[in-house]
Amino acid sequence: MPEKETPLSQTDTTEVDVQALEQEGEIAADYIEGLLDIGDYDGDIDMDVEGERAMVAVVGGALDELVGKRGEVLEALQELTRLAVHRQTGNRTRLMLDIGGYRERRRAELTKLGTDVAQEVEQGGSPKPLAPMTPFERKIVHDAVAAAGLRSESEGEEPERYVVVYPS
Amino acid sequence: MLEEALEHLVRGIVEYPDDVRVRARRIRGGRVLEVRVHPEDLGKVIGRSGRTAKALRTVISALSGGRYVRVDLLDVNEVR
Repeated sequence: MPEKETPLSQTDTTEVDVQALEQEGEIAADYIEGLLDIGDYDGDIDMDVEGERAMVAVVGGALDELVGKRGEVLEALQELTRLAVHRQTGNRTRLMLDIGGYRERRRAELTKLGTDVAQEVEQGGSPKPLAPMTPFERKIVHDAVAAAGLRSESEGEEPERYVVVYPS
Repeated sequence: MLEEALEHLVRGIVEYPDDVRVRARRIRGGRVLEVRVHPEDLGKVIGRSGRTAKALRTVISALSGGRYVRVDLLDVNEVR
């Protein structure tokens, strides 16, 4: 099974084509903006390039519907947006979409969770499984656990795949 | 609004956007949105293991405020 959680530090360091990433952002922004207009949502679109990824963020109020339970609507929109970019550029994209600051908040929560559980496992000595998470969420936990000097693995099958933290 | 949103989402991901047609029908207990695309695009809007179809349905349910909306994906030549 393809694993989408390759840590950023392990991706190759070939020169990043910033212009191509900016173009991905433009296509994604047009696609999302069209949807916001049709649905009469208030939201501004921020575009950025972070590392090797184009980032597109919808900011503003009253966007919860577009995030959904556990971010499921956001994930669906990101998937469709990536397809829209792929159709126009012919290239696969790792573009990341955020809506209403959801990913940013989850990143902070999950980094804290990963750090706390790492400490707990280090003291207790036995492995600890966490709740099922999306690939995006698991990656954040893996990074936080690694930063604390412990080891973690993803186990189980999507969409119930979860992180287990091990004493190193 | 839902038809328009669905048409926009589908047009953005297919090779033949001008062939995309969305029609709404009432059924008992809800609505059906029937999307027709160029035959070569049908696989694209369904996606690997139905991933793309699922993403479209997830977004449309969210936009409808949780009311049940069925989304059918067909090619332009299919008769029903």
